[in-house]
Amino acid sequence: MAERVFITGMGMISAIGSNVKENLRSLRLQRSGIGHTRHIDTIHKNVLPVAEVPQSNAELAALAGVNAGGGYTRTALLGLVAMREALAYAGIENAASMPAAFINASTVGGMCDTEKVYFDIIDPQKEGTFLQSIDTLDCADCTQRIADAVGIHEYVTTISTACSSSANALMYGARMIRQGLVQRAVCGGTEALTRFTMNGFNSLKNIDKQACRPFDQHRNGLNLGEGAAYLVLESESLVRESGAEVLAELSGWCNTNEAFHPTSPSPEGDGAYEAMKNALAMSGRSIDDVQYINVHGTATLNNDASEGKALERLFGARVPKFSSTKPFTGHTLAAAGAIEAIFAVLAINAQVIFPNLNFSEKMEELNVVPETKLLEEYPVENVISNSFGFGGNNASLVISKYEAGMFEKIVKHTGE
Amino acid sequence: MKGRFYIQGTAAISPQESFSGTFTPQLARLEDRNLLRVKEPDYRDFIAPNSLRRMSRVLKMGLTTALKCLQNSNVAVPDAIITGTGKGSLHDTERFLHDIRQYKETALNPTPFIQSTYNSVNGLIALQTRCTQYNNTFVHRGFSFEHALLDSMMQLNEGAAKHVLAGAFEEISDEHFYIKSRIGFWKEQLTQPADMLTSGTPGTISGEGSAFFVLSTAPSDVHIAGLKMLYKPTQEQVSTALGNFLREHQLQPEDIGLLITGRNGDVNFDFYYQELIAQYFPQTPELPFKQLCGEYDTASAFALWLAVERMRAGGPEHVLIYNQFFGEQHSFVLLGR
Repeated sequence: MAERVFITGMGMISAIGSNVKENLRSLRLQRSGIGHTRHIDTIHKNVLPVAEVPQSNAELAALAGVNAGGGYTRTALLGLVAMREALAYAGIENAASMPAAFINASTVGGMCDTEKVYFDIIDPQKEGTFLQSIDTLDCADCTQRIADAVGIHEYVTTISTACSSSANALMYGARMIRQGLVQRAVCGGTEALTRFTMNGFNSLKNIDKQACRPFDQHRNGLNLGEGAAYLVLESESLVRESGAEVLAELSGWCNTNEAFHPTSPSPEGDGAYEAMKNALAMSGRSIDDVQYINVHGTATLNNDASEGKALERLFGARVPKFSSTKPFTGHTLAAAGAIEAIFAVLAINAQVIFPNLNFSEKMEELNVVPETKLLEEYPVENVISNSFGFGGNNASLVISKYEAGMFEKIVKHTGE
Repeated sequence: MKGRFYIQGTAAISPQESFSGTFTPQLARLEDRNLLRVKEPDYRDFIAPNSLRRMSRVLKMGLTTALKCLQNSNVAVPDAIITGTGKGSLHDTERFLHDIRQYKETALNPTPFIQSTYNSVNGLIALQTRCTQYNNTFVHRGFSFEHALLDSMMQLNEGAAKHVLAGAFEEISDEHFYIKSRIGFWKEQLTQPADMLTSGTPGTISGEGSAFFVLSTAPSDVHIAGLKMLYKPTQEQVSTALGNFLREHQLQPEDIGLLITGRNGDVNFDFYYQELIAQYFPQTPELPFKQLCGEYDTASAFALWLAVERMRAGGPEHVLIYNQFFGEQHSFVLLGR
């Protein structure tokens, strides 16, 4: 019998807060994190809005409890801040105490710091301490820095599937638990803003010069963001043994590919449709059991049209409340899936639906509109969280309310 | 993880003549640098000319190896595509960094940015084969390919896929070769592959390559019986883990007919191999594979390809691959016939 996978801890940092509590508060206050960069040297500084974590690297190092001169990139520091909170949230004092997995996600690794010294690194005339950062560019550096700081060493790896990366990290960790490889996996992603990605998305002409407007007729592109988020996943048997507090269940997931175009989804949202449908089927829930969808909702012309079509195909006339939280956090690329998975857990635990900011007019291609108001005391039991990316990668997660007293029921009925 | 994961077909582009015909290992003769480049096949047999023009070397290499592997496995559309790459498209990453500087962040061509994304090869394989199912890319140095294998094995165990296309690809660029030379990754003196293991100096010879496999639960001549990864272990932990690994598979060290090692002549890290051999395999034939392909994040994929070649040519019943990447990521892959 495959193990159920429970979420027992979570930690995050984004432009709207340096921990889970602050993020929830900002969501409720409808306070967006979108503004202009203070940390990146770019000609787009005052032109392209971003959702930047306000803290400097030195401030992040202090939050993460490490030496600011320790060679940590901003990617690693953001990740470590989120990791420490996730472990503390789960009541794990010593992560090394049992074999656990750390499945991290990143799209450009330590580019944030390497790009500043890259042309010194390739210049034979130049010498200096920057040479120490040579090996921080790849995606493994941040993962290992975080793993080493907290002492996770059983399975340590990194996934990079563009904007679906950390959703895939969550799936991979959950599957390792179900296969009995580990009983605990910390999964998520970390992403720092870089001149590289800003220019990359800008060259694709899909960055909005204003705050992004997901699912709006006048949407005109995304805003990049930065942040990190990790969720602690534990097997049902471990939770039964330890009595850990369960925040929610990761009850379903699916990874599909569009096989349509390197950077745009199919017009009818085939991959998104399949991902949501299969994830829901795996969770054992039906379309009527879903109260909220945290959509990928980048506010690019293509994504929202195809994701919206996929919603209408799957749910017909009964599309649940849905919203994109990207106007709060920006699009945090590899970290987005995990940040939004935490928002899903919060929606369930706080019984709240977050508003899709900046919406004014229904898209002509769709019949549905996102939720634009903050809904408190809303009965949320099952949430679908979507993450889609370049390369046609689609990932959907189903996060479900954990019924208190469930174990007692099992014990009563089975005598175990 | 329990189960047998059969290899239905393989393909490899490497510094060897590995892509077509019969494979005979050759020790290359290096002219000026400690760098082994792949022998590139004619990509036009696999990729349309208009796409080919836009694609950088590693994209062509990865996509072509994947397509050839499917051909060799008689599989038209795999049920999952899972890869590993430590560095992705270095060429595109470098090109976009240079473009940003040269054009002062204006009027940039987005192609190198798109292709620099680590999952771009996977996207291309999916597009070309019309595979709309599971698709994943691992990017963790010497664990990249190993996790692609582990994920593939999990997919098969879950019954989520019948045929999984698993592979790895890596390129070395002149610029990256220079960068890594600044922190001592490569030997300082020109060292021939033939002398690599006996040079007694730090650093190694750089390499690159791409190798793909179709895995399934349907029996074939070679299977993966076990996989174990160790992150930053001590020498003692490596030894203990190997003992446990063999025991889990009911094997004695003597049952291993061939030991394929990632020994690369780097005096900083080769002791792991020496001590393991002294303890477990004093009499076992050893085949160090990095003389053939050089060192890179996903070199273990070439080792697996080599192992399958050997076993198909009537090699021993059990082959063990032990590889480590600069002392940090260590892996055992156990193969059976």
